[in-house]
Amino acid sequence: MGLNKSRPIYEKLRIDPQGRAHLIVTDLEALPQDTIEANLALSNIEIWVVARIARGIAASPSGSRAFRSVADLLSHLSFHLAREPVGLRLYAAGTEAFLWDVANTARAAGLGKDEIFLTQAGSLRRRVYCTHCKSMNEDAVANIATCRACGARLFVRDHFSRRLAAFMGVMVDAEVPNEIPEIEVIYP
Amino acid sequence: MKARIQNIRSLSATIKHITLAPDAEDSFPAGAAGAFILLEIPGPGRVWKNAYSLVSGAGRRQYEIIVRRVAQSRGGSAWLHDHAEPGQLLEISGPANLFPIARAAQKHLLLSAGIGITPFLSYLPVLQRQNAAFELHHCCKLDEQEVFRPLLPKAPNITLHGSRNSLDLMTLLSAQKLNTHLYVCGPEAFMDVTIAAAKRIGWPDAKIHEESFGGATGGASFIVKLARSAMELHVAEDQTLLEALEDAGLAPPRMCRGGACGVCELPVLGGLPDHHDHYLSAAARAAGKSIMTCVSRAKTPELVLDF
Repeated sequence: MGLNKSRPIYEKLRIDPQGRAHLIVTDLEALPQDTIEANLALSNIEIWVVARIARGIAASPSGSRAFRSVADLLSHLSFHLAREPVGLRLYAAGTEAFLWDVANTARAAGLGKDEIFLTQAGSLRRRVYCTHCKSMNEDAVANIATCRACGARLFVRDHFSRRLAAFMGVMVDAEVPNEIPEIEVIYP
Repeated sequence: MKARIQNIRSLSATIKHITLAPDAEDSFPAGAAGAFILLEIPGPGRVWKNAYSLVSGAGRRQYEIIVRRVAQSRGGSAWLHDHAEPGQLLEISGPANLFPIARAAQKHLLLSAGIGITPFLSYLPVLQRQNAAFELHHCCKLDEQEVFRPLLPKAPNITLHGSRNSLDLMTLLSAQKLNTHLYVCGPEAFMDVTIAAAKRIGWPDAKIHEESFGGATGGASFIVKLARSAMELHVAEDQTLLEALEDAGLAPPRMCRGGACGVCELPVLGGLPDHHDHYLSAAARAAGKSIMTCVSRAKTPELVLDF
């Protein structure tokens, strides 16, 4: 897996001291402490989390904001980045698909490589792009996924597209129809 | 490549606009916005090689440059002011570009001072044609306002600041959004102040673009020892380290001759460099392990280079 050049390499979350202000976003309900090497008590750090079904929104600590869903968070992020003055550093922590959704949102807002930092945390589940019907399939945990749009049985490749924020899925039984290898959960 | 001086126009007592035309060919190679050429200027017993930004992007039938007579000129700009005449042939090279318009930028903030306006004069038609979002703030001395005003198109996003206090740098920089790239060109002090201010508010390095030719103003003489060439050379007060190497028949790496491109970097084995370039990072300057021979000199009487 380490030989696959399309797989990004992630680092622990560190605050860039060159930044004037810092925004950390995660698709988890709280920041994963084991992936953080930073003093989060600094004053100019804001944290956005996804607390599904409005759980814990009222209880979110100061400097932190909770969103109902990833989509909700990303749409607020896009709005926020278009208005934020220069000097912000953006950090994303969470599942790989989320990291690249954030990176692509940030890039569209004009942020460059040295203003965005990505830390993988939580589940290894994959977003799979069906290379046949071009649909996205969320939360694949096994080596084989079924495309929800066209029904193809997809082999989940290690080939990751940063632009699509997804792994490539190719029909697993293209050569011999219905010959499907054993299905194993490998991305828990 | 040979170029003929076609026209010389005085913009002020110390600033001249010079038009060059190709001698043999029909046209010059195209230079994109931000490009510069190197002009070989004949002097008594020597040749000066100075970098000048092209001030018009359009047209390959001619190159236009603007030259300020530098007070401590080692000879190059003084010759262009005192001896250059239409019809004369000069050797030129280039164009090269160390200061292109950043394609990724959604907005461009251009800050210049004095003669540092020159690369931006080639940017303006391009940015205006692309309908790009940009702001230009040009700072100059009060008595030079009327020199620069005619060079700048009248537009709400182009501002001429004729005194030190009229540009509130911190407010301007702090108001910029995350989609903006900063471009800075001007004298060393202006560059230093502007870039330091931008960094203080968290501007990322990759969005700060800078160019400043100059710094090759001479200084105290010193001895340079070349470890690999087994030579010892004297660098005169009015000579650059690079020129001393070239005069000794060596062919050290070089390009812009203005401390901007980084090509002439040589490793330092002994002595302390006196850095005047805009290429090395603060950490690399402090480490003193390499030197830009085109503009930098020595703080110690001797410098040992791995060359």
